[in-house]
Amino acid sequence: MGNSKLVDKFTMFASKLGNEVHLRSLRDAFATIMPLYILAGLAVLINNTVFQWLLSGDTLTNAQYWGTLIVNGTLNISSLLIAPVIGYMLSQNKGYENPLAAAVISLAALVVMMPNTVTVTPVGAEEGVLVQGALTFGNVGTGAMFAGVIIGIVATEIFVWISSIKRLKINLGDSIPPAVGKSFNVLIPFILVMSGFAIISAVLNNVFHTDLIQIITAMIQEPLRTATTGLAGCIILYSLGNFLWLLGIHQSVIYSSILEPLLIVNMTANMAAYAAGQAIPNIINVAFVPAFGLLGGSGSTICLLIATFLVGRNAATKNVSKMALVPGIFNINEPVIFGYPIVYNVSMLIPFVLTPAMGIIVAYLATSLNFMNRCVVYIPWTTPPLLSGYLATAGDWRAILVQALILVLGVLIYIPFVKINDIVMEKTMASE
Amino acid sequence: MKKILLVCNAGMSTSMLVAKMKKAAEAKGADVSIEAKSLSEAKAEISEADIVLLGPQIRYELNNVKKIAGSVPVEAIDMRDYGMMNGEKVLAHAMEVMGA
Repeated sequence: MGNSKLVDKFTMFASKLGNEVHLRSLRDAFATIMPLYILAGLAVLINNTVFQWLLSGDTLTNAQYWGTLIVNGTLNISSLLIAPVIGYMLSQNKGYENPLAAAVISLAALVVMMPNTVTVTPVGAEEGVLVQGALTFGNVGTGAMFAGVIIGIVATEIFVWISSIKRLKINLGDSIPPAVGKSFNVLIPFILVMSGFAIISAVLNNVFHTDLIQIITAMIQEPLRTATTGLAGCIILYSLGNFLWLLGIHQSVIYSSILEPLLIVNMTANMAAYAAGQAIPNIINVAFVPAFGLLGGSGSTICLLIATFLVGRNAATKNVSKMALVPGIFNINEPVIFGYPIVYNVSMLIPFVLTPAMGIIVAYLATSLNFMNRCVVYIPWTTPPLLSGYLATAGDWRAILVQALILVLGVLIYIPFVKINDIVMEKTMASE
Repeated sequence: MKKILLVCNAGMSTSMLVAKMKKAAEAKGADVSIEAKSLSEAKAEISEADIVLLGPQIRYELNNVKKIAGSVPVEAIDMRDYGMMNGEKVLAHAMEVMGA
């Protein structure tokens, strides 16, 4: 398998994709923001479980204010956080000398695209009123996260491009302190980018009575999100990512650039709904996928390890499995991927791709049949299986049962392929 | 003291290899410091390293990292050595490249 031209071409394509500067910057940006979301998930969890067990009445409300504040500083300012970070990452990855300026312009451009008049509902009132001079959580929070990404990227691209036009640079000479010189250097690009964005925003508002945030959310984020995070789309993309592991390439090339951001959008919507006591909208999200599709690591390889212990005969693979067990409990499985190996191993192709897909389908069914709650806590992907389901669903013990079922089915899927692999390895060793 | 920097996606799988390499270094009496970092963290520290080793699963980043590293040698760790967490082999190869 390792020598076929098709595989080589696919590897090259995957490498190019992994290197593509926008996708890479997107991954970098989300990696930076992720700790905030994990904290938000923890805060919402504590608000709705621990606090409720220990407190009541006014003390409870006062305590829950803590969680609300954390949600405000994380979920509710998602687009304000992501736009400058992606501006910084993109400009840095493109080799631009002043990534901080790109971050500033991305954030500024984002706010330019927001409407000046917004509707807010006063406390205790039933109807909304129009106010001016306010940024609403609706416009800066999770619903606008994608808009933040797109505006961040576009603003940065235009900014970097204009900055590279030599005729527009203001050069004050060497006797001026570098910081001052830097700020003058970016002056013209700033002016051009901001005015341009403001013109577009004004036209959208005055002529079309809408704003870019609304347009991006409705016409780009929503269709993309429902397509890629729907059951079929998610399984296809996730399986494609898992297939990359068979080529020895980290699935994050596809997962973290395309699928993960949208799964995060789903997750944050769930977390916000949970915090507000509303119905949870999304089954498939960024906690759901690893909890049920990544048991022991990509390919749900803890099932492979167990299958090897049960029926494996090959000394080498049994050895690797023993060594990989402890990290595998924390979903780290590079020792398995490169040591078993999974890489370039046709025998492992089917179970490696099939088991996670099976896990996602089983968990999806369990949730839609109301056997299990939806995931509302953004747990770290290194959370061990069985624990991860419990925590992600904010303490639904049935999730542990679902994970256990998936585990058993996964082992059953892997067993025949472990046997096949044993035979293949024996034959290869005999012929060497 | 020569500085070896291992890099992978999150810095977690390489940290296991680092532990094995440190053991091997002690046995050899080699004067090296060995660290594992995530890709984003490593970018800041590359200039201080004497060699950068990439986990094979992010070998597509090789050219990128080489650009940032300048004169510091950058290589992707051999897949088999990585899978078997063969600290001795990886250390020996690193020492060879660094000319130590």
